[in-house]
Amino acid sequence: MTGRVRRSGFSRREWLAGSALAGLFGMARPTLGATPAATAPSLPWRNWSGGIVARPAGRFAPASEEALIDFLRATSGPVRPVGSGHSFTELVPTDGHLIVIDQLAGILDHDPATLQATMGGGARIGDLGAPLEALGQAMINLPDIDRQTLAGATATATHGTGIAHQSLSGYITGMRLVTADGGVLDLDAETDPDTFHAARVSLGALGVVTRIRMQNREPYRLKVRSWAQTTESVLETFDESAARHRHFEMFPLVHSDYALVLAIDETDEPVRNPPPEEDDGFGAAMAGWMGLPPGERRPHINAAASQIAPSEVVDTSHRALTNVRNSRFNEMEYSVPLHVGGECLREVLRTIAEREIDVVFPLEYRYVARDDTWLGMSSGDEDHAAISIHRTATEDYRAYFDAIEPIFLKYGGRPHWGKVHSLGHAELSALYPRFEDFRALRRRLDPDGRFLNAHLRHVFGEPPSEDSA
Amino acid sequence: MRRVLLLALAAVLAGCAEPPAEPTPEAPAPAAPGAFADAEITDDIMGLWSRSCILCHVHGEANAPRVGDAEAWAPRLAQGEDVLLARTVEGYNDMPPLGYCMACEREDFRALIRFMAGGAP
Repeated sequence: MTGRVRRSGFSRREWLAGSALAGLFGMARPTLGATPAATAPSLPWRNWSGGIVARPAGRFAPASEEALIDFLRATSGPVRPVGSGHSFTELVPTDGHLIVIDQLAGILDHDPATLQATMGGGARIGDLGAPLEALGQAMINLPDIDRQTLAGATATATHGTGIAHQSLSGYITGMRLVTADGGVLDLDAETDPDTFHAARVSLGALGVVTRIRMQNREPYRLKVRSWAQTTESVLETFDESAARHRHFEMFPLVHSDYALVLAIDETDEPVRNPPPEEDDGFGAAMAGWMGLPPGERRPHINAAASQIAPSEVVDTSHRALTNVRNSRFNEMEYSVPLHVGGECLREVLRTIAEREIDVVFPLEYRYVARDDTWLGMSSGDEDHAAISIHRTATEDYRAYFDAIEPIFLKYGGRPHWGKVHSLGHAELSALYPRFEDFRALRRRLDPDGRFLNAHLRHVFGEPPSEDSA
Repeated sequence: MRRVLLLALAAVLAGCAEPPAEPTPEAPAPAAPGAFADAEITDDIMGLWSRSCILCHVHGEANAPRVGDAEAWAPRLAQGEDVLLARTVEGYNDMPPLGYCMACEREDFRALIRFMAGGAP
């Protein structure tokens, strides 16, 4: 066993002994977290924004797939896999064991002919760009945040931008899933298409994804152009712009008529991406406006936004598409069918203005291509528009998000699995044609519900358990 | 890098963010005597470092004090172990809770802080 069992109610020595005994004599597997803690309790766990808290019985950090398999075979009791903790929903909390996957990382295999690479599920997205480039590959699209793990990002259908580009899960061509009883499933579209299409967006409810094979492409550079423009004029030609550019999105500034616009295209131009200049004055001005009532901010923000200078940089794809997000926040994101995206965005902006919601964080509006996963937020027969609202991590987001969520639902929105939402089984089942199939598969792969917690029981309509957080 | 957008967004956020991570004194405050001195920096700890702290504490992302920068660490150490550990676990300003080390327990963080503050492995 090569892994770390920490601060468990079930010690490493006890676990090893239990594992051996169970193997030798067919004894019942020890239940993690079921015995009184003999040592100091494990540290609390919090997500990236700090709003989600768990008190796990212990942490298990397998150094290999074999260690993970041994652990799951030798134990019972609740577990939850954790990546980088960037989800704003309660996907991770458990009073059982956290399974920390960050040692299951790196590029494990690659094929120059197909331009596919197999990577550890615990690999952080930001750690993959350079080594993939050295192998002659690059990921086809990337999300904003580069510190998520590949397994965590795909489990929640994390996506970037582009009408021709799917979520990360859409580019998975194969994956390994270690299930609740330590079983190993190697999945692809040919051998077991149903399980494969379900497991590509699994919420971590089917097991631990230890390796993922992605369809990549040859390395490429991107030219990133940004500017400020009135939100309405961007919306009027958004479809044409989205079709013309590899990536096109905008960040509408609330309580204003402006948006920051982003267009990204492939280029052969050399890299030019100097360090950003310090504050251009916009920030200082915005800080001043925060002292004004929201209803009085529009002319001031409009005047300043109209002065924002256009920008243009060129960089390798993985550096151009991802960011380090230093300022922590909470976020709600829904995807709505493309043809109602603009209408939905307008209503969100109008509601923020009419209710004078005191928020400064811009919205985000982008397109995501349809895929054939079961639970991807853009899965199905139509492309989607994704709309995000944010609050800084130190602010209470509930009143703001509660005011906007009904608008998303009115337009047929589906929530991002890793971002704040209030939906349960009844609502979600109506949004996804294969939702009940996923529930049945989950029950088959994890009949004892080891990978369920309170949030997932709510999502999948399973009865509450006294054994799960 | 989405520079202008990031600048604008960061600027917006700066208006409502908390104060900077630490005040910058004219002279670094002395470290608390013996803070973290008994924490053991093992190969295991260095593995944790390479998978988590390294993300920000090498290049100083999010105003993180850089590894080995004794001047930057001194005022933090001066606040004592309990304060530093609590901020590490709960998150502080732009540092996320647990500093991306999901496997770390209290003794791990003690060793990691000692290492980053200049303690030799």
